[in-house]
Amino acid sequence: MEAGEVVSLIGANGAGKTTLLNVISGMHPSWEGSRLLNEVETKGWRAEKLVAHGIVQIPEAEKVFTPLSVLENLELGAYLRRLGRTALQQELEKVFAVFPVLRERENQPAGTLSGGERQMLALGKALMAQPRMIMPDEPSLGLAPTIVVEIFRILRSLNEQGTTILLVEQNAKESLRISHRAYVLDTGRIVLTGTGEDLLHNEEVKRAFLGKDYHGKWER
Amino acid sequence: MPILNPAIETMDRRALLELQNERLQIVINQAYSNVDFYRRKFDEAGLSPDDIKTLKDLERIPFTTRRDLMENYPYGMFAVPLRDVVRLQFPLGLYGNPIVIGYTPKDLEIWRELVARIMAGIGITEHDIIQVAFNYGLFLGAIRFNQSAELIGAAVVPASIAPAEVQLRIMKDFRSTVLASTPSFALHILEVMQKKGIDPRTLSLKIGLFGAEPWPEEVRRFIEDNWGIKAYDIYGVMELVEPGVAGECMAQAGLHIFEDHFFPEIIDPDSGKPLGPDRQGELVLTTLTTAAYPLLRYRTSDVTALHLEPCACGRTLARMERVLKRSDPMITVRGINVFPEKIREVLASFEGTGPGYKTLVSQKKGMNDQLKIEVEASVQILRATEERREALRDAIRLALRRAIGLRVEVELTKRV
Repeated sequence: MEAGEVVSLIGANGAGKTTLLNVISGMHPSWEGSRLLNEVETKGWRAEKLVAHGIVQIPEAEKVFTPLSVLENLELGAYLRRLGRTALQQELEKVFAVFPVLRERENQPAGTLSGGERQMLALGKALMAQPRMIMPDEPSLGLAPTIVVEIFRILRSLNEQGTTILLVEQNAKESLRISHRAYVLDTGRIVLTGTGEDLLHNEEVKRAFLGKDYHGKWER
Repeated sequence: MPILNPAIETMDRRALLELQNERLQIVINQAYSNVDFYRRKFDEAGLSPDDIKTLKDLERIPFTTRRDLMENYPYGMFAVPLRDVVRLQFPLGLYGNPIVIGYTPKDLEIWRELVARIMAGIGITEHDIIQVAFNYGLFLGAIRFNQSAELIGAAVVPASIAPAEVQLRIMKDFRSTVLASTPSFALHILEVMQKKGIDPRTLSLKIGLFGAEPWPEEVRRFIEDNWGIKAYDIYGVMELVEPGVAGECMAQAGLHIFEDHFFPEIIDPDSGKPLGPDRQGELVLTTLTTAAYPLLRYRTSDVTALHLEPCACGRTLARMERVLKRSDPMITVRGINVFPEKIREVLASFEGTGPGYKTLVSQKKGMNDQLKIEVEASVQILRATEERREALRDAIRLALRRAIGLRVEVELTKRV
């Protein structure tokens, strides 16, 4: 991936999307191959070292710390940065500017938030780590359609401000719309790639999700 | 030197390898899941797409041959249903055992860029007028020059196979700056020009883009010296894209293969063993992006060698030597490919002739110019009246013309 890109991984359940994110973020213990960050091999790096280098995975939304308050969740996002009180406050302000609803809820336990709010908290927590690349895992999962649109709007604007995004999604349509490039995975294999625009109109993408839509090759 | 797509054409070879590895995975998955022929081949070889992780594993995949394409005619090799296809081409004609190749809109878009890369690389710009003197009917790639020229903004004159005098008049009146044709037709135009005493300096021509038949270096030098133009070679494979697989740049130091779309290997044609760079052997290509008609390890029968050192032009793409030989008995006569099996098929349809026959080729400057076929005939035929024999020769000539698209001289000889 190039800095500043949005790349999507799409594919059905079990295609290997989350596994790939776990490998990149250092959460997956055993894998073969090579993982380069700016030409540097990062094999053997632990997750926290990768976070310190700006590679931040955003797990599915229910994985916020539910008993802790919204504020505490956000502060944990900046844990590795060891910020002073003032700097921390500045970072919080930046996140609240993106997600005003989190300020309203700052003292509530994260467990009391709605699905969309939790997703925003998960994103906000990642931003507190000052990431160079974020890897949201199914950010639209289980959200109402209007909230989905809002989440993708935020992702797009984060990218426009310079954040590189590797996005895992089942919602192919929305994710392809904001992607520069995308990969379709099927049981751990890449079955297609192209620009988001290309794949958005590709019949083969539909087939990859829904199976063959023809009986004979001669069909038109 | 001008480069149309520098991000690709001058890509670091390590990054190119990564791109190829990624695309290879996709084409193999597509071929395996959508083409029964490939699924069968994989299963028979005990291979799964998962076994092919990188280009190093490619050797384990069996070759694909022209025979395979014929046996799976018409749509057996297609990886997409016909509704995704917007062009169908039959490069061998429809006589006997044909093949048909499909292209999706994206396939055509890529093809258009590839020929445009070659055009840009030899200095063609929006200021040029390209006179395309290929046979638009027989050489299906001719139309490609039109579309790729449009991409660059150059103007095209589809002169097709108008006689040399007409070509010269177009060249003069329209001020054509580029001639795209077979090298043998270019030679013919040059001869007519010399015969008529036309000084090449009165024309505007600067560049020749020649292909569709083998042409030795002497021919290039002869054309360049006598015409005062630069002559470049363009290469394609009719079962993939022709032209557009590779082309020369201004350095004239081999043809750059577009390795982002085709993965080349050189093999020993007898043992099938891959040979390294700089060794001469048969070119085998695997398509990396083709959607409609993906080919895995396709044997082109063209003999060449690959050189991987970067070129003076800045391109890092492998350079292939110009193709002057085949590993099969196909011959090319004035840009038309002639397969012996087609000739056999034609002769078999006549009574009292064959099966023995001999092909004789007369050459001009090391290139095939005329094809003559000596057909064995029965005693009855040879003893028949000259009229009857001429009628038979005529019928064979016509049948050959229909089957291979070439005027052939026919002689009847005694059976041995």
